[in-house]
Amino acid sequence: MIRFLPFLLKSLWRHRTRTLLTMSGAGVGLFVFCFVGSIQQGMRNLFDQKEAQQTLVVFQANKFCPATSRLPQDYAEKIKQLPGVRDAVPIQVFTNNCRASLKSAVFYGLPPEKVQSTRDFEFIDGSWPEFEENQKSAIIGRAFADRDSEYRVGNSFRLGGYDVNVVGVFESDNAAEETYIYTHLDYLQRGFSKSRVGTVTQIEVHTEPGTDVDALCATIDEELKSGTVPTQTRPKGAFQAKSLGDLTQLLSLSRYLGYACVALVVMLVATTTVMAVQDRLREHAVLKTLGFSSLRVFVLVLIESTLQSATGGAIGVLAALLMLQVLDLSVAADAIAVSFQPSWQLGIVGCGVAAGAGAIAGIFPAFKAAASEIVPALRSE
Amino acid sequence: MALVEISDVVKTYSKGDEVIKPLDGACLEFDRGEFLSLMGASGSGKSTLLNLLAGIDRPNSGSIQVASEEITNLSRTRMATWRARHVGYIFQTHNLMPVLTAYENVELPLLLLSMSRSDRRRRVEIALDAVGLTDRADHYPRQLSGGQEQRVGIARAIVADPTLVVADEPTGNLDADTSVQILELLRQLNKQLGTTLLLVTHDEEAAEVASRQLLLDHGKLHEQNGRPPQVAKEQSA
Repeated sequence: MIRFLPFLLKSLWRHRTRTLLTMSGAGVGLFVFCFVGSIQQGMRNLFDQKEAQQTLVVFQANKFCPATSRLPQDYAEKIKQLPGVRDAVPIQVFTNNCRASLKSAVFYGLPPEKVQSTRDFEFIDGSWPEFEENQKSAIIGRAFADRDSEYRVGNSFRLGGYDVNVVGVFESDNAAEETYIYTHLDYLQRGFSKSRVGTVTQIEVHTEPGTDVDALCATIDEELKSGTVPTQTRPKGAFQAKSLGDLTQLLSLSRYLGYACVALVVMLVATTTVMAVQDRLREHAVLKTLGFSSLRVFVLVLIESTLQSATGGAIGVLAALLMLQVLDLSVAADAIAVSFQPSWQLGIVGCGVAAGAGAIAGIFPAFKAAASEIVPALRSE
Repeated sequence: MALVEISDVVKTYSKGDEVIKPLDGACLEFDRGEFLSLMGASGSGKSTLLNLLAGIDRPNSGSIQVASEEITNLSRTRMATWRARHVGYIFQTHNLMPVLTAYENVELPLLLLSMSRSDRRRRVEIALDAVGLTDRADHYPRQLSGGQEQRVGIARAIVADPTLVVADEPTGNLDADTSVQILELLRQLNKQLGTTLLLVTHDEEAAEVASRQLLLDHGKLHEQNGRPPQVAKEQSA
């Protein structure tokens, strides 16, 4: 069929307005598909990665917002004594917006040495020593740094009543981490209110390999039951899912938006291909008179619809991936961020979906073209 | 044995409640290299017979053999392959692909045959030369006159060196001068290249360019001298 490609391409070019509109439709559909796919990927990474399964979060029982959870800091020392616990890190969390937002700023205050030991960050600017020396210093994720030119090493910024000096920008395998600001625990505790000294929002528990995390969760809550504040301990993934609450459901539902976009692409390409076949009924009859078999005409139409959808879709996929890469979008709620995660795998899936949608869309029109009788078609105007 | 043998062909079709029978036991034989014209009243079934012979329509009954091959019972796919190898079709309205140049239009039937690129190029050049359009090879149909478009259509019909070339009123849409040129071209192709031609026309002057003139009347074929075409063929042999 390759020798017929110039004929196919010229036919598409002849009706370039229709072709461009079809490709644009496929492009927009796949653009949205990739956006939805990237947020789904962000959710999967957040909830399913190993760290989310093997790390526990101790939170105040029946509290879901970081602003309302207040645990005694010394709980961390008690938890450390339990079997299966490798480390327990007290963390103060502050967010300027507890509701779902694309522009939330989330501060995580940890003892500086714990940031280094529990996070797998790679500095792209700045260094650890500067962070450890200065209490008002902050290291920020690359995605957060990209939001504003103000967020650069050497600059200071003020958010939610906190003044911090940026001393480092990091990258992480966990895309959500790249949207956070890490500061000293002491600074975050004292900066908000004196009453916060000695309390933390949550305690992050790092377990020994092979530990039964569900049993450990129960043990921690049981051990702290007699304390001043009751706790609820969950694996980090489950904790994040619970914290995101309705947003999790909403993002899960968004996959149907992706499916709907693909269905729309199929409908659009099918409609324009049917129109193209209707317009070229006589042309196909001439081809058959010259000796083109019905199967060959079928394949020609199928390739035509697949080409339009795949090309338009590929452009949409490319645009979406570039935009997601540049914008570093994430949506956060209750100090948990879900990053839009573009990837070349998503790009390949997107292109495959576009081509598949084009092929499916072309089946009916191709069958119509192949099945048409030559003589009546030649007599048609 | 004749190149084409048509025996007792019957073709009917319905138009609303009315059943029309354009061919009712039509018989015809002719040899390789012959040039036939077929005349008849409007709606008499001339084009129907031509379409049957070109393998783009099927009779209700009867037999059509071309080069000893019965074509009426070929499958749809095999019929398409047969058309590509054996038939060149000249349309009344040239029916060129508007997106392709004259060269590419002529090359189109060759893409269906297993042939190298250089062989295709050689054949297209010969065909375009035969119709006198070598210098218009890169022109698109919209850049050609009606007569030139029809010449390209003729080149496309002969390029694969088919067993039989059929022409369905090829001068029907042309002015008188151009019609004469096209008919002369068909005559030359028959004389110089030995192309077997069946020309359907309603124009008596056009019909006279052929060496045998047939008339289709009431579903049956007659030689213009009044004898049935099979008898005429036997006597001329």
